[in-house]
Amino acid sequence: MFTEFLYVCKDKGLDISTTEWLTFMEALDKGLAYSSLEGLYNLGRMILIKTESDYDKFDLAFMEYFKNVHVEEELPADIMKFLDKGDMDTSGLNKDIYSFDTKRNKEDTKRMFRERVTEQKEEHNGGNYWIGTSGGSAFGHSGRNPGGLRVGGHTGLQTAFQVMGERKYADFRHDKTIDIRQFQIAFRNLRQFSTKLEVPKTELDLDKTIESTCNNGGFLKLEFDKPRKNSVKLLLLFDCGGTMLPFSELCNNLFQAVHKANHFKDLKTYYFHNCIYSKVYKTAECEMGDWVDLDYIFRHTDKDYKVIIVGDAQMAPEELFDLNGNYRGPNDGRSGYEWNLMFREKYKKAIWLNPRFHGNLNSLFWMESENTLAQIYDMYPLTVDGLKEGIKKLMSPR
Amino acid sequence: MSKMKFTGSKNYVASKELMAAVDVARVLEKPLLIKGEPGTGKTMLAEAISEAFDMKLFIWNIKSTTKAQDGLYVYDTVQRLYDSQFGEAGVDDIKKYIKLGKLGEAFKADEQVILLIDEIDKADLEFPNDLLWELDKMEFYIHETKETIKAKKRPIVIITSNAEKELPDAFLRRCIFHYISFPTKEEMDEIVRVHFDNIDENLLKYAMDTFYWIREIKEVRKKPSTSELIDWLNALLIGGIEPETIKEKLPFLGVLIKKDEDIDIVKKRRIL
Repeated sequence: MFTEFLYVCKDKGLDISTTEWLTFMEALDKGLAYSSLEGLYNLGRMILIKTESDYDKFDLAFMEYFKNVHVEEELPADIMKFLDKGDMDTSGLNKDIYSFDTKRNKEDTKRMFRERVTEQKEEHNGGNYWIGTSGGSAFGHSGRNPGGLRVGGHTGLQTAFQVMGERKYADFRHDKTIDIRQFQIAFRNLRQFSTKLEVPKTELDLDKTIESTCNNGGFLKLEFDKPRKNSVKLLLLFDCGGTMLPFSELCNNLFQAVHKANHFKDLKTYYFHNCIYSKVYKTAECEMGDWVDLDYIFRHTDKDYKVIIVGDAQMAPEELFDLNGNYRGPNDGRSGYEWNLMFREKYKKAIWLNPRFHGNLNSLFWMESENTLAQIYDMYPLTVDGLKEGIKKLMSPR
Repeated sequence: MSKMKFTGSKNYVASKELMAAVDVARVLEKPLLIKGEPGTGKTMLAEAISEAFDMKLFIWNIKSTTKAQDGLYVYDTVQRLYDSQFGEAGVDDIKKYIKLGKLGEAFKADEQVILLIDEIDKADLEFPNDLLWELDKMEFYIHETKETIKAKKRPIVIITSNAEKELPDAFLRRCIFHYISFPTKEEMDEIVRVHFDNIDENLLKYAMDTFYWIREIKEVRKKPSTSELIDWLNALLIGGIEPETIKEKLPFLGVLIKKDEDIDIVKKRRIL
């Protein structure tokens, strides 16, 4: 039964094992779905899904299989963004009387909606045609079209026949950018792996000693274990350039998480503006003169320091390649590119976390700086998954 | 037995999904893994089930130092060594030095019991894997006495997690999973009424509005939870606060919010 559904789930990236699927079948046999779609949904979710971050994917898979709702109706992020402005005062916009076709059916509305999504390029509030807040158009929220599709917003007027875009568990997705707690959990990995370091067994293991001694007929036999101290030393560099402003809260969260995870042997934090040159700043304000030489850092850290650089790698190519590219300080004879190369060579492990990570888009010329830096450092997106991947890289033996 | 159905208890309000999850776990004889924000009543669930089904509850609290073995049995070698040095009687009887853990006690019980493994994520990462066999087969072997402890009636196993660590896949595959999301206003209303018999409607309304308003402020780092709301309502009742002034004056805010910086943020927001 429903075997096709298993493959829909797998397509959505859900990792479901045969055991779990068989358990699901067993539960269906025992009538635990109570012959209702809701029961089936609950049952499937509790047996097949083991983390709330996958609830959203499961919702999508379930919708696709059981309702034939096409996921292509997912809205482009920018349209969703302005619709989500919860604080907007919409009361004044609804006073005019709009005419609308009340006879239009559900299928028509959906088709028109798809057309609008592809056409629409900007924000609309009020009016009769576009997706937007208020007004008489069939799409958006806080409007008064009785047969419309609600897109985002709150269920205030409840006129929409279908609530779209309300993906209740979308917040829990792992690929979504993270809050401080999730950061902290990710940073624990930096400790966990460190206990597996190849070090000699130097610490007396009391439990094992007692056991061995007893097994040895009361004659003392000592047992040793690897020390469980964390030997990770961390060097953290934050980009505080203008393009990072939208991510200030995110960076602040990361910063807090690192500092709360006080299990590092040493932690050094510095800041830079757009690109690393001969000097880095001591504070996030990046004030002229309030800096230290890169040389100083080189002298005071060894190659075992794990380096995490946080930045969006957005800069004009000349800022990176020109010998006078640093418009906020000295270049000291090297281009940003060369400084970065030098920096990378000093340390065994260095990763770059990028809140604007684009992946591999070599063809786009304005991506030149990001692509160049991604070749120097291992670059990851600044998300839970990205951070985890990055930390894995930092802790890998080679 | 199969007619039994969990519907929450006098002091515990369970969502429909949660009740279904409890039933499924019981019928399929699989552990029920409960995850959720702090203060959503994960631990209380086991107590409620124990009360509703009238079964004995065994609680195994997990700490960062807990090992899987502790739950099964502990062989007190030190005591035995000590006894042997002083020639105590019965040193040759190993059984005397085997002490059952919570899991062992639950297995040994004559009737069906509830076993709560609380905050499993506190322990070492491998901890859940070490319990796979025991939770699957509901039995374990005591090497020292060559004895097998097997559950007479499979206990209902409830496991809670705060998501501090990821649990291993092999373990997850064997569980029924339920995520307790934070209660909606309507659910919270019901929960509060379970705790307060005759609460002033006005007070409740203003307090709840303020509570959810605070929870929605993005900058607040530690969001207040159910237990804090209940404490706060208690404080408001005892303090005899005028309901209309709650939103404005935010009395006893320290009960609701525990961090200085959060209190500042909330106060700043109120003036704006």
